[in-house]
Amino acid sequence: MALTLYSYDLSVNCYKQRLLMSILGLDYETVLVDFFPGLEHKGEAFKAINPLGHIPVLIDRPDDGDGDDFVLRDAHAILVYLAAQYDESGQWYPTTNARLLGEVSQWMLFAEGTTNTASAARLHDNLGYDFNIDEVRAGAHRLFRVLDEHLWFREQEGQEWVCSASHPTIADLAIFPDVILSEEGGISRLDYPALRRWTDRVRRLDGFVLMPGIQPV
Amino acid sequence: MTESGSFGGEDVAQRWFPVAASSDAPFRHVAQAKLLGREYAIWRADDGYVNAWENRCLHRGVRLSIGQNEGTELRCTYHGWRYSSRSGGCTYIPAHPADAPAQTICNQTYRCEERHGLIWVTEAGTGELPRHAAFGSSTSEDASLALRALPLNAPASLVLEMLEAYPAHTAAEATGSHSFQFQVADGDGGGVVAFVQPVDEAHCVIRPVLVDAPPDSRRLEVLRSEALILNRFREVVEQEAASRPSTPVIERDILPVLGRAASETSVSFAPSQSRTELRVVVTTKTPVADGVMSFEFAPIATPGEPAVLPTAQPGAHIDVQLPNGLIRQYSLTNRSGDQERYVIGVKLEPESTGGSTCLHETVREGDVLAISAPRNNFPLRRSATRTILIAGGIGLTPLLAMAETLHAAGQPFEFHCFARSQAHLPFASRLEAMGASVTTHLGLDPSQTARAIEQALGRHEPAAHVYLCGPAPMLDAAQQIAADSDWPEDAVHFEYFANTNEVDRSSSFEISLARSSLTLSVGPGETILDVLRSNGVPLDASCQQGACGTCVVELLDGEPQHQDVHLKPSERAAGDRIITCVSRAAAGERLVLDI
Repeated sequence: MALTLYSYDLSVNCYKQRLLMSILGLDYETVLVDFFPGLEHKGEAFKAINPLGHIPVLIDRPDDGDGDDFVLRDAHAILVYLAAQYDESGQWYPTTNARLLGEVSQWMLFAEGTTNTASAARLHDNLGYDFNIDEVRAGAHRLFRVLDEHLWFREQEGQEWVCSASHPTIADLAIFPDVILSEEGGISRLDYPALRRWTDRVRRLDGFVLMPGIQPV
Repeated sequence: MTESGSFGGEDVAQRWFPVAASSDAPFRHVAQAKLLGREYAIWRADDGYVNAWENRCLHRGVRLSIGQNEGTELRCTYHGWRYSSRSGGCTYIPAHPADAPAQTICNQTYRCEERHGLIWVTEAGTGELPRHAAFGSSTSEDASLALRALPLNAPASLVLEMLEAYPAHTAAEATGSHSFQFQVADGDGGGVVAFVQPVDEAHCVIRPVLVDAPPDSRRLEVLRSEALILNRFREVVEQEAASRPSTPVIERDILPVLGRAASETSVSFAPSQSRTELRVVVTTKTPVADGVMSFEFAPIATPGEPAVLPTAQPGAHIDVQLPNGLIRQYSLTNRSGDQERYVIGVKLEPESTGGSTCLHETVREGDVLAISAPRNNFPLRRSATRTILIAGGIGLTPLLAMAETLHAAGQPFEFHCFARSQAHLPFASRLEAMGASVTTHLGLDPSQTARAIEQALGRHEPAAHVYLCGPAPMLDAAQQIAADSDWPEDAVHFEYFANTNEVDRSSSFEISLARSSLTLSVGPGETILDVLRSNGVPLDASCQQGACGTCVVELLDGEPQHQDVHLKPSERAAGDRIITCVSRAAAGERLVLDI
């Protein structure tokens, strides 16, 4: 199989895929999309790949040229596919444990929320996107408050990750970039010490990779 | 409630406040805290010491709370400046790898204590952290449990006002004469003491502590139920805060305290009031090899001041004032950031002038000695791709500090220790702890030593550095071997114990001080350093025999006659600096110095 990721270096959603593929040790090719200022993802050529005009897009191409390319869009869907298809440990997307799988799905939806608030604030501040900045920042703080309390109690239980398992899942990777880059959108993490500690733990994972704006720990 | 809760009229800078929970400062983490408008970086060193620092790097003002806790040092994430635990002093500036950061580059540190599972800070308080009556009189009786802290978007004054009506507790009463602590009884043991941390004008944190911790079996349940009560309370307070017109309650300007940042690197013109201005106590005196004694020095605590030694970098040495009046230089063996103590190794040299004999025979544990702050004329490049350390005998001491610094940081190094026998190898157990990075060479003759050094060096690679310390014949030979193996001079660093060359002090010449517009005569038997000092020009010096390099001065004009062992051949050839304690000019000549 040959994996190709349509990606932009400063996009949190593309970074989520790079992070998981690095942790899983997967080889892949990158097609850089001129997201800003070129708006290449809104052009006709790219819309032939993804009619929604969003990045990332993953293409999984059979080696022998036999069979069709598998094309998948949307960050969190790609995480699900990559983990389910390529993670031999079965930890990152635990399909055989119904409760844990339910929790992963729950926190993946939570990650949609952090993307639409914290990362929206970042797009507003960095690239001039037209969001109601006060509203998205307040929304991010509401979610961070919930997550900080959740992670504080996880620590009290002797656990380290978002879901009820002794190992991280794709839910951690889906939420992490929105959190770690929140200050680029004017969202301080001063009030969320447990969230800050969890970002240390994610950054210490084997295979962790950086993106611009993220510091090593 | 006995006070309004506003901060007007109170000297809040003298008061202690909790700024974090102890659990907010786990291994190798940097926490971010804010109190009364000032931000703090809170981090625990590997030895358990909690540091509370102004949250900005002295270099570019970037928050240190996004830096890296390296165990004994905090590294700024922006340009890699490193600061030592305890003292806050800068230990390394990557952009100036050849220069030791000046002692004056020191982060602003704040007094900090841990109690009741909380980390307490005072901005300027000199007294002890007061005991709270609810917790008993001694810390050993403290069976408390810190509950989950709750940050609120509401001023502390409003929270204190509303805590009086804390919903789940009937018998609320204020404790003490001030408003930052609030005790409530809940019928379950000693109740909860809620400390309020004023963050800024519009924010605070409630830090509740249960006076008597529940049994482990009920711990999580209690933590959850208390958190639930507080969360409800927060909703009420925040609604109230949102409905009130915002009035600033903290009427104070917060100016960041930038610590002390002079020029970026060492300058030797700093007035040296006294060469040995520090008092330390000898805590241990232990034999570490045949004829070698190790001495550990600890700071002498002053009430209200943390006992902290000045920052030392690997390669640094101190002057030690001995009971017999002599002043001698010894390298520090402990690694960067290990500021709790200084450890030196002293080899007994019966034929010397009495420094080592005095330390070995007269100085005892418990004695108080006067020492200088550390100076570093032998700095370690911490971004090298390959680091080779070559030690002969007691020359191991500065290199041991370098090796342990690199070892702690997980950076590779090759440490070659030459000694007469295993029994003569100092600090063998510390060497053993570094495993395969250390190679010992025992009982070799000069030609075998030369071959071993040649093998150890190999060919020079980019960003490789070698550090040499040992007896003069070994260093002379090693430098020659390095040169023959094409090692560039700026990758070969050495420190001689002593200048064994005969120094000629017979000439009579003039020195002109370009910046001071002074011309002075140096007569036979005098040194440039003597003449400068007797004419009121302060100049730092240490060994006074041309070995350590402390008294170096830039030379603007004139032909120097170098007699030191500190300058490298190219530095001598450049003729732009002079070691003033031994080097001079030919009779009748004139040197123009940049001071």
